[in-house]
Amino acid sequence: MHWWFPGDGNAYSTLGGKIDDLFYLILVIVSVTFVGTSAALGYALWRGASIKSDEKVWFSHGSHSLEVIWTIVPSAVLLFIALYQLDVWAEYRMKGFAKEKDGSPKVITVVAEVTARQFEWRIRYPANGKPLKPTPQPDDIYSVNELHVPTGGLVSITLRTDDVQHAFFVPMLRVKQDAVPGKMIPVWFDATMPGKYEMLCAELCGWGHYKMKAMLVAQSADDFEAWKDKASAEQFDDGYRKPAE
Amino acid sequence: MNLGCGNGPQAVFKYRPTTDDLIPEANKAVTKTLTDDFGTPEALVAWERFPINYGGVKGTVASTEGPSGSITVALEGDSSKISKNASLLWVSGSQAGGKSAETNVKGFNVETKTLQLASGSSTPSVGDRFVVGFGEDMQLGRVVYMKNCMHCHGVTGDGNGPTGKFLNPRPRDYRNGKFKFTSTQSQEKATRDDLHRIIQYGIPGTYMPSFLLLGERETTAVVEYVRWLAIRGEFEKRFVEELTNDYSQTAIKDSTDKAEKSYLEKKKNKEEAEKPLNLSKAIKAAGTAFKKYVDDKELDGAVEETANLLASAWTQAETPEVLIIPTSQRVEDTLESRERGRLLYMSNTTKCYTCHGPTGRGDGAATEDFWDKPGTSVKYPNRGLHDEWGNPLKPRNLTSGQYRGGRRPLDLFRRIRAGIKGTPMPAFGDTVLKEPQVWDIVNYVMSLPYQPKQPTAVKHPAEVVANNEEKPAN
Ligand code: HEC
Ligand code: HEC
Ligand SMILES: [Cu+2]
Repeated sequence: MHWWFPGDGNAYSTLGGKIDDLFYLILVIVSVTFVGTSAALGYALWRGASIKSDEKVWFSHGSHSLEVIWTIVPSAVLLFIALYQLDVWAEYRMKGFAKEKDGSPKVITVVAEVTARQFEWRIRYPANGKPLKPTPQPDDIYSVNELHVPTGGLVSITLRTDDVQHAFFVPMLRVKQDAVPGKMIPVWFDATMPGKYEMLCAELCGWGHYKMKAMLVAQSADDFEAWKDKASAEQFDDGYRKPAE
Repeated sequence: MNLGCGNGPQAVFKYRPTTDDLIPEANKAVTKTLTDDFGTPEALVAWERFPINYGGVKGTVASTEGPSGSITVALEGDSSKISKNASLLWVSGSQAGGKSAETNVKGFNVETKTLQLASGSSTPSVGDRFVVGFGEDMQLGRVVYMKNCMHCHGVTGDGNGPTGKFLNPRPRDYRNGKFKFTSTQSQEKATRDDLHRIIQYGIPGTYMPSFLLLGERETTAVVEYVRWLAIRGEFEKRFVEELTNDYSQTAIKDSTDKAEKSYLEKKKNKEEAEKPLNLSKAIKAAGTAFKKYVDDKELDGAVEETANLLASAWTQAETPEVLIIPTSQRVEDTLESRERGRLLYMSNTTKCYTCHGPTGRGDGAATEDFWDKPGTSVKYPNRGLHDEWGNPLKPRNLTSGQYRGGRRPLDLFRRIRAGIKGTPMPAFGDTVLKEPQVWDIVNYVMSLPYQPKQPTAVKHPAEVVANNEEKPAN
C-alpha cells in the first residue's frame, strides 16, 4: 500500500507514521473533492448539452445559499485539517522545547551539529559522555556525509549552514528542515529501526546540489557509543604501532 | 531533439603551453608520442610500463584438450569478474602482440575452468599467459572521473574544468605529478591510500567535496585514473622540458635576438662578424637538427628515460620505506609540552611564525612580502605566498581548527615532517626537529583553536626586542 513512498514505503520514525496518516487523510479529502467536482462539472456539461430548446434553464449565478455552502464546507474542511494536524506539528516543531506532562524536562539526546555546505554535510559529535557545545571542543568527533544516531528515543541535531540555504531531508524518517544561514536550528526525530537511511539536501543550493547525498546510520545506543569510541580512536591516531616483539 | 543539454564539446586531452611552443617538428613528435602511449579520452591507451592497475583478470593456459576453441585455464584473480564478450589479450606465447593479440570470450565455466573463445581464433599452447577484460577498471575510472571530477579538475587533470576557474583554492592540477597531502617523505609521490582518503573525505575548507558514497570499486578505479592522469601530465611536462631549450620557438627567438644584438654591436665597433640566421631560418635549422635528434634515437631515449623515472617514482611511493611513520608515541598533551611546542613554533629553527603568524592566524610577515616565482628572479605581482602552480596561497589559520590534510595527530606530524608538497610550507625532515619536538609542536598546534581569544597574548619576537630597546635607560 505504501509502495509509492520513499525506500520500502514504511516510515522508520514514530512521528513518520502519523505524518503518513495525515498524508492519506488529505489524499482522501482531495480525491473525494476532485471526483465530486469533476462529476458535478461533467453533469453540468451533459445536462446543458442535452437540454431541450423549450425547457427553462435554472440560472444559479448569485445564489446566496450556494455561495454560503461552498464557502462554509471547504472552510470547515480546512479548519478540520488545521486542527487535526496540530498535534503532529507541535510534536515535530514545538514539544521538544516543552516539559513532559509531569514537569520533568524532555529527554532528547543532542547527538551532533550538522553543518551543510556546498556540497557536503560536515558533522561534529561531542565525545562519549559529554554534551554538545555550541563551539568546537578538543575532543569532538568529526565525520563527513555520514550521520550516526542512536535508536530508541528522541535525538536532536543542531542544523547549520556554512554558506547558502540547504535543507536536511531524511525521506525514510519523514524528517525535513531547512538550514538557514546564521541560524542554529534544533531538529529532533527518532529512528525506530537500526539501519542506513538516505540523507539528502532538499533545497536547490547551487550547481552541485545533487551531490549532497549522504547517509544516516541509526544504531542501537551501545553500537552508537562503540562507533564513537572507534571514530575517536581513529581521529586521535598518532600512527605509532608497537613493533612486534 | 536537443534541448539545452546537448552532447557538449568532445572531450580532448589538452597540451601544455610549452608543448604548443615547440617548433612544428618537435611538437608533432611530442603529441604523437602522447597519443600513441596514452591515447585520447575516448580511446585510452594503457601503457603497461607504469604501475597502474588497469584492471582485468590474469591467467595461464593449463590445457588445450577438449572441443575446439575451448581451453582450460588457471586464473590469478576473481573469476566472477569475467563477463561474456570480455576481450582477452595474449601476453605471452605465439599470439602475443600483433593484431591477433585480442580475442573475445564467449563464455566461462567456473566449475571446469574452461574458457570458450570466439570462433576463428587460433588455439594457443599450454603455458601462454593472457588477461581477460584488460583495461576495464581504467574505463570505469574514466567514467567516474568524467561524471564527478572533470568539471572541476578538467579532462586532462589540469584543474581547468568549467567550474575550476571560479574556485579558491583552485582544483588540483595533477600534471605536476604532485599532491599536497600525502603520507610519504617530502620527495616522494602520493600513495594510493592518500588519494583514496582525499576522495572519500574531501578537503575541508575547500571545494573538494567528500565522495564517501561513491562505492569502493568506483573509488579505487578513479584513484587509478587520477594517478594515470598525473603520470600522463608529468610525462608531458618532463618530456617537453628535455626539448624546450633547443626546440621551442621562444628559446630560438631568444637566441636569434641575442645573436642579432651582438652582431650589430660588433658591426658598430667595426669588428669582423658573421650575419646570424634570421628567425625563420633558425627555426628551419632547428627542424633539421631535430630530425637528426630523432634519427640518432635520442628522442626515443628521452621517452624511455622519462617513462623509467616516472614508473620507478610511482612504484617507490607504494613501498613501506617511504611512508612517514612515527617511531614514538605522541608526547603526552600537557601544558608543558604545548609550551615547548610554542617556543619551537616561535623559534628561528622552524620559523613557523613568519608564515602562520605569532598567534597562528596565518598572518605572518611572509604574507606581506613579494616572492620570486620558482626558478626565476621574477617576482609575483601580488604580495604573499604562492604554490608551485602559481596560485596565491595563504598559510593556514591554525586557530580555525580546519586541517585540509586530515586532523589526526599523525596527519599533522606528517605535514611537519614532509611539508605540504608543492607549497612553501617546508619539510622539517628528521634532522632539524627530533621526533618528540615534532610532537610538542603538534600538541601546540592542536591546542590553538581552543585558546581563549587574546590578540596580544603572544608577541612577535621582533616586537619584544623593539620594546626592550625603547625602554629608557633608567
Ligand atoms: C567542486 C570542485 C571539485 C570536484 C567536483 C572535485 N574536486 Fe578534487 N579538488 C578540488 C579542489 C578545489 C582541490 C584543491 C584543494 C586544495 O588545494 O587544498 C582538489 C584537490 C584534489 C586532489 C588533490 C589532493 C592533494 O593531496 O593534493 C585530488 C587527488 C582530487 N581533488 C581528486 C578528485 C577526484 C578523484 C574527484 C572526483 C571523484 C574530485 N577531486 C572532484 C575541487 C574539486
Ligand atoms: C614558508 C611559510 C611556512 C612556514 C615556515 C610554515 N608553514 Fe605551515 N603552511 C604554510 C602554508 C602556505 C600552508 C597552506 C598550504 C596549503 O594549504 O596548500 C601551511 C599549512 C600548515 C598547516 C595545515 C595543514 C593542513 O592539513 O591543513 C599546518 C598545521 C602548518 N602549516 C603548521 C606549520 C608548522 C607547525 C610550522 C613550523 C614548524 C609551519 N607550518 C611552517 C606555510 C608555512
Ligand atoms: Cu544543499
